[in-house]
Amino acid sequence: MLQAVGRIASLSKPNLSRSLPSLAICNSRYASSDPSCLKEAPIIDTDAAIALPEEQRSRRALESSIVVPIKVDLSPVSGVPEEHIKTRRVRIYQPPKNAMQSGTNNIHHWEMEFDTRQRWENPLMGWTSTGDPLSNMKIEFKSPDEAIEHCEKNGWCWYLDEPKIEKEFKPKNYGVNFSWNRRTRVSTK
Amino acid sequence: MLRQPLTRALALGSPTRLAPVTTRRYAEQAQAQPEKVEVFIDDQPVHVLPGTTVLQAAALAGVEIPRFCYHERLAVAGNCRMCLVEVEKSPKPVAACAMPVMKGMRVKTNSDLTKKAREGVMEFLLVNHPLDCPICDQGGECDLQDQSMAFGSDRSRFTDIHFSGKRAVEDKDVGPLIKTIMTRCIHCTRCIRFASEVAGVDDFGTTGRGTDMQVGTYVEKMLLSELSGNIIDLCPVGALTSKPYSFAARPWETRRIDSVDVLDPLGSNIVVATRTNEVLRILPRTNEEINEEWLSDKSRFACDGLKRQRLVTPMLKDSRGNLTPVEWEDAVVAAASALRDCPPDKILAVGGEMADAESLVALKDLVNRLGGENVCTEQYFPMEGAGTDLRSSYLLNTKIANVEDADFVLLIGTNVRFEAPLLNARIRKAFIHKETDVAFIGPKVDLTYEYMHVGDSASLVKDLASGTSGHEVMKRLQSAKRPVVILGADQLKTKEGAALLSYTQELASKLQENLQEKDWKVLNVLQRTTGQVAALDIGYKPGVGPVLASGPKLVYLLGADAGVVTREALPKDVTVIYQGHHGDQGASIADIVLPGAAYTEKRATYVNAEGRAQQTLPAVTPPGKAREDWKIIRALSEVCGEGLPYDNLDEVRSRLAEISPALVAYGNVQGNNYFAQALALAKSVQRPVSGKLDVQLKQLEDFFMTDPISRASPTMAKCVQAVLKQKQSPY
Repeated sequence: MLQAVGRIASLSKPNLSRSLPSLAICNSRYASSDPSCLKEAPIIDTDAAIALPEEQRSRRALESSIVVPIKVDLSPVSGVPEEHIKTRRVRIYQPPKNAMQSGTNNIHHWEMEFDTRQRWENPLMGWTSTGDPLSNMKIEFKSPDEAIEHCEKNGWCWYLDEPKIEKEFKPKNYGVNFSWNRRTRVSTK
Repeated sequence: MLRQPLTRALALGSPTRLAPVTTRRYAEQAQAQPEKVEVFIDDQPVHVLPGTTVLQAAALAGVEIPRFCYHERLAVAGNCRMCLVEVEKSPKPVAACAMPVMKGMRVKTNSDLTKKAREGVMEFLLVNHPLDCPICDQGGECDLQDQSMAFGSDRSRFTDIHFSGKRAVEDKDVGPLIKTIMTRCIHCTRCIRFASEVAGVDDFGTTGRGTDMQVGTYVEKMLLSELSGNIIDLCPVGALTSKPYSFAARPWETRRIDSVDVLDPLGSNIVVATRTNEVLRILPRTNEEINEEWLSDKSRFACDGLKRQRLVTPMLKDSRGNLTPVEWEDAVVAAASALRDCPPDKILAVGGEMADAESLVALKDLVNRLGGENVCTEQYFPMEGAGTDLRSSYLLNTKIANVEDADFVLLIGTNVRFEAPLLNARIRKAFIHKETDVAFIGPKVDLTYEYMHVGDSASLVKDLASGTSGHEVMKRLQSAKRPVVILGADQLKTKEGAALLSYTQELASKLQENLQEKDWKVLNVLQRTTGQVAALDIGYKPGVGPVLASGPKLVYLLGADAGVVTREALPKDVTVIYQGHHGDQGASIADIVLPGAAYTEKRATYVNAEGRAQQTLPAVTPPGKAREDWKIIRALSEVCGEGLPYDNLDEVRSRLAEISPALVAYGNVQGNNYFAQALALAKSVQRPVSGKLDVQLKQLEDFFMTDPISRASPTMAKCVQAVLKQKQSPY
């Protein structure tokens, strides 16, 4: 009898304190009775405890097969406000080479960025402020496919901006500088 | 394969997968490729064409060899020695940028000898390079900084115990765009090579030898080129920096937004650097099909015009005839009631030179819904014959990139150098590297390369078309395998324009018939402004002349600042609504002013002279109460009671796609056809032509200020002054 009472008590404990220990800890009133600090018997789901053996068997059978949804849509659970899912558009692009430099080290990936929203100069320090939480979110990907998949998963409208940087290979030649019958001959040195 | 749903591709992205890629390089495909040689870069085998340099072979293997003087778009100089690498069985390290590969060559780009060589070169360069990085504008994007960190020695042997100082060089004055701090120069000679090869101005050079060597113009002289800003990008150190941008910002403080330039008809790709809602500078962005990695000076430096003369608030003319600031509501209500009260056939809408496709389509839809048909562009184009019905008759059909594969170029009445500087750079590239010859019909101008001057009479085109011309050009054109004929759109403004276009079409089609490569396009019409192609695609009538003559009651100027519509030409009781971003000619005659956004402030579609749609991205927000252009027209339509059926950009773009899918095929260009049909229609307008062909932009000083943004730019004004001053100089 006592055991039964104890089990019912443990079942009726608020699940919040268990699943979110950080929330429970921050409240000192619950700190002494914080179940996450104590060792306890495993919690058995009420439904599972009162289920008939056939039901349990069928449930186990269901649990064994993992169903993977073909299209994952994280937007309802990602916590991103709807405004920033529906109204934003993502540009997937390859960062361009800086025209001022010859090096090409940090541009061999694909990035996604959101459309630019208003930014302004903050009068306090002169820094740039924005009301857009996604303003600085640039994510790097190895390929545009990965970026597209990420955007689809998060429900963002995307578009692909392919750089036109392929060019025909032409061997360079030092000799043409001095060629006597071609226009490549250098005039000034 | 990338996935892209059809609807989304139409509304948003580039439907690359839908349309076949029509651009094709006309390289030497027919020639059999010689057998490739195998070389080993860091023991990694690479197969390359014979004659390839070690540096290029390494690049193919994914190894980047450090360099200062080498630039892939310039001739090989081989003077900085930074690219020294060890080659097995070679007694000394070799300069990778100039050394052709040999069979079985084993290159070691990371060996001890290579590292030591690089350290040595760095040490020599730094002996005479000042340590002024904290006050140097190149700081943060300096090749010398980067490479000294990556490849330099970790300790210094530089001890100047006598304080004799480093080598110092006097600064040069090469104009209002480029600031020179010549002490920083490491003599890579990239600027010299750019000026002489690409810009075609042989003013730069070196004087002196050894420690006395200096890069400069010898006598004090401005660099008179429309591409001069590119040497700032090319300079691997801070010797050449941007004068308007000097001490403005550090590269890590700025936010870079990829966008598209609208100041010339080519639509060069740019990167807009901004900080705190202000455009600081514009840099080129590589696009091999348009601008390679160059940018014209107007596109690069006119960005300070975006901060001046801006329309920041709606304005209405008060009882005394002065424009006074009002709220949006008042301005929109006033404009809407003017539109509603006007008889539909008396409304004239004019699309300007920098109008984007979205606002153009919104304006046309609005006027059409009100019952009007008079939507026009400022630039004229003859409507006789095929008119603007066939896209091939008003576009650059050859495509910019293919021009460099041409073997003969005939320019008819277009000073390409100033109308489309980067197209001229392509022609010059073909001239130098492919021995292409150029002929020119029009006034004598400096195109930076030699050309056959045929004359300036329009009848020459007729003679060429009919085949009766005895000029050498005729023979050259007929024998050319890939001829290109480029006609300037300015020539079509005159009464003889239709006939001239018809003759040019005839000439082009005759040449086309004899070609072996059937898909090579000969006929090109070079438009003068960015807005024109999109407007013609959407269905604007070119030219305002006939409608102006009929006496409109209401004129809606959408960024029309070319001075085609003037108060004098309009009846007294006309209402003029101006929508645009600069207080220029259009706003000065307006009764109602609606402030719009400039190209750096909106996501908008622009179609370049080839017919390639590209979109700008918003870098900053429009100043004050200014708004995106299509939204203003959408709001206006609601108040007029003729609400347009689109509420967001995607819907506007699907409307654009309804009109022409090419308008939303971002980044791609479609091939044009129906040349023969256009010619058949145009044959009827062939009349004798007698006029002289003249170009509007003849000299460099004409180039800088041609549109509302560059007219508002103080840097561009300084350039004009400097060029005029240079003209007075004896050098």
